[in-house]
Amino acid sequence: MKRVAVTGIGLVSPLGDDANSVFEAARIGRSSVHRLQIEGSHRLAAPLAATVEFDGTRHFEPPQFRLLDRVSQFAVVAARRAVADSGNELSDAERERAGVFVGTGMGGILSIDEGYQTLYGKNSDRIKPMMILQGMHNAPAAWIGIDNDWRGPNLTYSTACSSSSAAIGEAWLRLACGAMDIAIAGGSEAPLSLGSLKAWEAMHTLASEDASDASRSCKPFSRSRSGMVLGEGAAFVVLESWERALARGAAIHGELLGYGLTTDAGHIARPSVAGQAAAMSAALAAAGIAADEVDAINAHGTGTQANDVAETAAIKRVFGARAGRIPISATKALHGHLLGAAGALEFVLSLLALQRGVALPTMHLDVPDPDCDLDYVAGVARVGAAGRTMLSNSFAFGGTNAVLALRAVD
Amino acid sequence: MTSLTFEDTEKRIRALLVRDFKLDPGGLTLDSRLDELGVDSIGMAELIFNVEDEFGLKLPDAAVQLSTFGEIVQFIHDAAADQRASAAPSSLAQGVNTST
Repeated sequence: MKRVAVTGIGLVSPLGDDANSVFEAARIGRSSVHRLQIEGSHRLAAPLAATVEFDGTRHFEPPQFRLLDRVSQFAVVAARRAVADSGNELSDAERERAGVFVGTGMGGILSIDEGYQTLYGKNSDRIKPMMILQGMHNAPAAWIGIDNDWRGPNLTYSTACSSSSAAIGEAWLRLACGAMDIAIAGGSEAPLSLGSLKAWEAMHTLASEDASDASRSCKPFSRSRSGMVLGEGAAFVVLESWERALARGAAIHGELLGYGLTTDAGHIARPSVAGQAAAMSAALAAAGIAADEVDAINAHGTGTQANDVAETAAIKRVFGARAGRIPISATKALHGHLLGAAGALEFVLSLLALQRGVALPTMHLDVPDPDCDLDYVAGVARVGAAGRTMLSNSFAFGGTNAVLALRAVD
Repeated sequence: MTSLTFEDTEKRIRALLVRDFKLDPGGLTLDSRLDELGVDSIGMAELIFNVEDEFGLKLPDAAVQLSTFGEIVQFIHDAAADQRASAAPSSLAQGVNTST
C-alpha cells in the first residue's frame, strides 16, 4: 500500500474560514452556537444552530450562482481553498485521474424545502426549473469537478453523520492502492431549513437551550447534555500519494494512515458499541498500527444521550485499561453537528491538533455523566497532549461507522 | 385585454435576458443564437420560466428548443396572441348576447 499525504486544507466553517483561526477558536473554546433567526424559527422548541458567515455572490457569477444550492456553494469554495493550499498545478493527464470524493447527508435540502414551500405552502405550481439540479446529492461533487476540471472518479457518499469520513476514507483506499494519485475529499452540509430542523426536532435529538448561555447548549459527555445542535459548512482536504507530494516539494500537513468502516446492521438509529469498536479496530488494522500507538481521539461526541455512552464504552473495548489515559476531544460543542460534513471538519481539526501538539478541549462539560468516565480534556486545551497519532471517529444513523487514523509529519 | 406588438414583446424579453443572464443589449440581435451567448439548455428552461411569469403565459415544452432570439420573440408573441384569442370567444359571445 502507498502512503497518503494531506497537502491541502479548505474550510467554510462556523469557527471560521482559515485553518489558523479555526484552530484558535477551537483551542480557546469559543462556541459558534447561537440562537437561529430564520423564517419560522419561532416554531422551533430551541432555535439553535452553528452558522457560517458566507455570501455566495462574492464567489460566483450570477449565471452559475443561480444553479448552486448553498451546500454546493460551500463545497466549491472550501475545495478551492484546499487546492490553493496544496499548491497543486495538475497536467492534463493528471486531471484525467484526479478524484473528487464528497460526503453530504442532506444534499440540497434548502432548495428542495423552498420548492415544496412553493408547491404545498403557497399552493403554486411555479417550481423553479433549477430545483432538481440544486437539490441532487451529487451536485456538490459535480461542481467541484467542474470548477477544477478534475475528471477522474467523482463520487458522493451519503451515510448520514459519517458521510465525509467515509468520503475521505474511500479516497484513501484508492490512493493507497495506486488507482489514483490525487483527490479532493471532504464534505458539505447546509441543513438549516425549517423543514429539516423540525424533522430533527421531532426525533428528540436536538439540544434544549442552555438557560444562561445559548452558545453552551451542546454538552458532549456531560450529565446535563440534552442533544446535538445542527451546524452548516464544508471541509475539504487534498490527498495525494506520498511520492507525489515529496516530488513536488509540497508542504505536508500530515499522513492519513488508514480507515476503518463497519456497519452495525442492528438498529437504524441506536448506536452499537460493538460496531463502533469494530470500526476503530479496523482503522488500526488498515493503518498497520497497534492500539497503544494512538495518542489522542477526536470523538464523534454529539451530546446525545445514546451516542456519548456508547462511544465511551466502545473506546474502552478497543483500548482496555489505557482508555482512561487517552485525551478525547469532542469539538461539536463548538461548531455544532455538520452531519455529512462533520467528519471532514473534525479530521481537519485533528490534523491541526497534531501539528500543534495540542489536545483540543471538550467544552461545556462541567459535570460528567457517570457513564462517561474517560479523559475528555474538559474545558481547557492541553498543550503537548495530542501526540503523534490520532483517530477521528464518525458514527451515523443507519449504522455506518467510519474512523480515520492520522499521524503528524515527523 | 390590450394587444402586444412584436416590438413590445422583443423589448420585454430583451430586458429579461439582460437582467438574468447579463447579456450585452447591444450585441443581442434577432439573429443571435442564445446558446452562443451563454444561455444553454438549463438557461433556456430558466428563461422560459421567467417569461411565463413576465407575460402570464403557460408555454409548451417545445419553447426550450428554440435557438435564436428572434425565434423566441416570435414564439412568445404568437403564444400570447393565441392565449388572448382562446380567451376571447367567451367575451365575444357575451358581447353578441348583450347586443341581441
